[in-house]
Amino acid sequence: MWKGKSLLLGAGISVAIVIAFICILSVFDDQALSKTPDPTQTVMYRADIITFDNMDAFGKLKKPKAVFLHDLHTDALEKKHKDCMTCHKVENGRMSPKFMHTKAINREELTKIYCDNCTKCHSETIAAGEKAGPVKCDECHRERPLIKSSMVEMGFDKSLHYRHLKAQKDQCERCHHEYNEKTQKLFYAKGKEGTCRYCHKKETQSTKTEKVISMRLASHFACIDCHQKTKAKQMYAGPVRCAGCHDATEQSKIEKISHVPRLKRGQPDNVLIHTGDQKVRIPQMMRVPFDHKAHEEYNDTCRVCHLASLDSCVKCHPLTGSTDKKVITLETAFHKLGHQSSCTGCHESKQQEKRCAGCHAVMAKDGQKDAAECLRCHMVPSPERTGVLSTSKAAKMARLMPQLWKETFGPIYHVQVPKTVVIKNLMDRYGPVEYPHRKVYDAIVKQLQSSKLAEYFHYSETTLCLGCHHHSPAAGNPPKCENCHGAPFDENHLDRPGIKASYHQQCMGCHQRMGVTKYLSCTSCHKERKKELQVSSK
Amino acid sequence: MTISRRKFLGWLGAAGMSTAFGKSAAAATHEHFTGYPNSFAILHDITLCVGCRICEDACNKVNHLPPPDKPFTDLAVLDKHRRTTTKAYTVVNKYENKGPSKGPVFYKKQCNHCLEPACASACFVRALTKTDTGAVTYDSSVCVGCRYCMIACPFEIPTYEYDQVLTPRIQKCTMCYPRIIKGQLPGCVEACPMEALSFGKRKDMIKLARMRFRKHPDRYVDHIYGEHEMGGTSWLYVSGTPFKDLGMREDLGVTPAPQLTAGALSSVPVIAGLWPALLAGIYAVSKRKEKIARTEQEQAVAAAMDKKGAAKTQTEEES
Repeated sequence: MWKGKSLLLGAGISVAIVIAFICILSVFDDQALSKTPDPTQTVMYRADIITFDNMDAFGKLKKPKAVFLHDLHTDALEKKHKDCMTCHKVENGRMSPKFMHTKAINREELTKIYCDNCTKCHSETIAAGEKAGPVKCDECHRERPLIKSSMVEMGFDKSLHYRHLKAQKDQCERCHHEYNEKTQKLFYAKGKEGTCRYCHKKETQSTKTEKVISMRLASHFACIDCHQKTKAKQMYAGPVRCAGCHDATEQSKIEKISHVPRLKRGQPDNVLIHTGDQKVRIPQMMRVPFDHKAHEEYNDTCRVCHLASLDSCVKCHPLTGSTDKKVITLETAFHKLGHQSSCTGCHESKQQEKRCAGCHAVMAKDGQKDAAECLRCHMVPSPERTGVLSTSKAAKMARLMPQLWKETFGPIYHVQVPKTVVIKNLMDRYGPVEYPHRKVYDAIVKQLQSSKLAEYFHYSETTLCLGCHHHSPAAGNPPKCENCHGAPFDENHLDRPGIKASYHQQCMGCHQRMGVTKYLSCTSCHKERKKELQVSSK
Repeated sequence: MTISRRKFLGWLGAAGMSTAFGKSAAAATHEHFTGYPNSFAILHDITLCVGCRICEDACNKVNHLPPPDKPFTDLAVLDKHRRTTTKAYTVVNKYENKGPSKGPVFYKKQCNHCLEPACASACFVRALTKTDTGAVTYDSSVCVGCRYCMIACPFEIPTYEYDQVLTPRIQKCTMCYPRIIKGQLPGCVEACPMEALSFGKRKDMIKLARMRFRKHPDRYVDHIYGEHEMGGTSWLYVSGTPFKDLGMREDLGVTPAPQLTAGALSSVPVIAGLWPALLAGIYAVSKRKEKIARTEQEQAVAAAMDKKGAAKTQTEEES
């Protein structure tokens, strides 16, 4: 009896093992099968695909979204001498970008509008013996559409803004508006113009009193309507077809003006940056003179710095943070690294450019800056000492101060840069390096002069020297490398390379970052010595 | 023999107790062993390596290895991914840069000198030893050539001299143990012109790596490879390119290899030594119980029979 039981048990276990083995094998087989590539289908890309994003609001859809080529339909209608009103309706005197409806409706109604109107027109055209689009559901609603979108976003840059301004003869009210809550109407407020996106967000925002349509709707309402009306008057107008704005090649053809005149919105040339209400709270910090005019040139839109409105920074960013509310303080707003809208963040990103990276990439990014560096920007004494200045006087101060400061505090040594420096105390396998010190210095000065930002912050010639002769005060006679760098792996200075590595890291690192590929191999800087010489030097 | 359910459970309980009160699995290994204090380590900063192969050259010279087929100055060798061999304890391989900087990246491969080496734990003759310097050394005089270490190593480092018929040895980086104990730097570290290899106490090397992360957060992947991998290694790596793109295993976990087997292996002596005695004891006890019961029963039966017999005679007499 006992024997029979163990036999059964053994048989059971072996059957289980075999089954498990088969299962594992089949899983591997499946994986192998799933790796076989799908038959490649040729997919066409077009910029004019309408994706029916308005259907997203209704949650998961029963069928995949239809692929609708807008320009194809515009062209087809044009041939038949039909206009946009065949599909679009008029809303508040302007053509609505919506299809055959204007007001918000529910899912069923919207589906009906799309399906009925599309198929109706298509079947009518087919009945007339012409070529037309699909009439069956699955031909529009494809699981794997063969046409995909290549749409690129359109932006209204400085050049385009100026061209519109010129065409509209400085009539800002043609586009810019404010909203009056009482009359519930749009009106134009002079001097209050801002970028569209301040109010028109990515999605339509609805409150009890006000409905602000999305940027997408607003731009299609305003731009296309105006372009069409201008075109109707037989005048030069911007694009009305999708591809005109949203196709990459078409977009690159849009005329660019190289020197865009300054915007006339009453913005200052030079300002002393406000750090708060001067009467109530007088900041102790030295104030920063800011060249607003110059910075306008560097950026394509005001939004780069003025994120949410064209007010002064302190209006949104308080001087002191609060413990209960998460606010970005003024200090953070100005100094946060990695953000294009903060002063230091933008300046620091410029340091990563090829021409600057040679020196700047090695500098630590742990936010520990020398307090003396603050003075490069913070240079105007607080109102306690200067007294509260009138706007015009503050502007004058802002203009003059950097210049004055440079002349007073910015020491300019006429440094004697040696022509060549011979590095020979490390000779072993390779011979000495004849370093063309003056040539390198001159090349860096040339790079520096190509940037206004660099020129301002490297206020003296000796500042440049700090790129290589680091961690010592800017002066014409820096200490020798060997004074700090000796044998490698000093426990007291863990991150201080030895003398050999510091040369190699400094020189080769800089060459690599600045794209000087000529001097990256061993023998491009020093010649290999003969074997006997190597031994004798040891 | 039939076993009652009650008896079986009793045995099971006894066996369980003996295991529980025996030597625990964790105590068999060094549960909180974090390496020898003040052991050395090498930090390989992959962002600094320029792929010059000078380390390979130096390794070859200090270990008196045979000259390579192609000279060390031939950088075309880097185009193909290589493994360590019996004649090259270290190799530098070139990889595509997926980090923030430009140009290719180079990663030097050699024995990682684990804090708790799998190879040493697999070696039953103790040919491989973790020394307090950090180096895992090899003694060919005791090696039996089983090659268990090669199977055990998660980094596929030890190599075997298949071409030596009579005296084959396991070959791998020694972390230049003979040099370290003399106060010299490992050959590769000394030769590296970029200080892409830093040598020092392991705790200092970890500190140094963190220092670099803090100074240049944009340049590094925020992870020290080898700090915890396989329970920690004496070679540490920092990189801008994700480690998995450099062919470095990220699936190793943080448990040292010996700990994975120690639990099961430590119960072997307990089971092998204690269980037979225990089971034999239980068997003897139950046997004795049975014997006693049987004698008692026999006695009782005899007594009853006697009584019955006596009663019978009495009745007979009465009747």
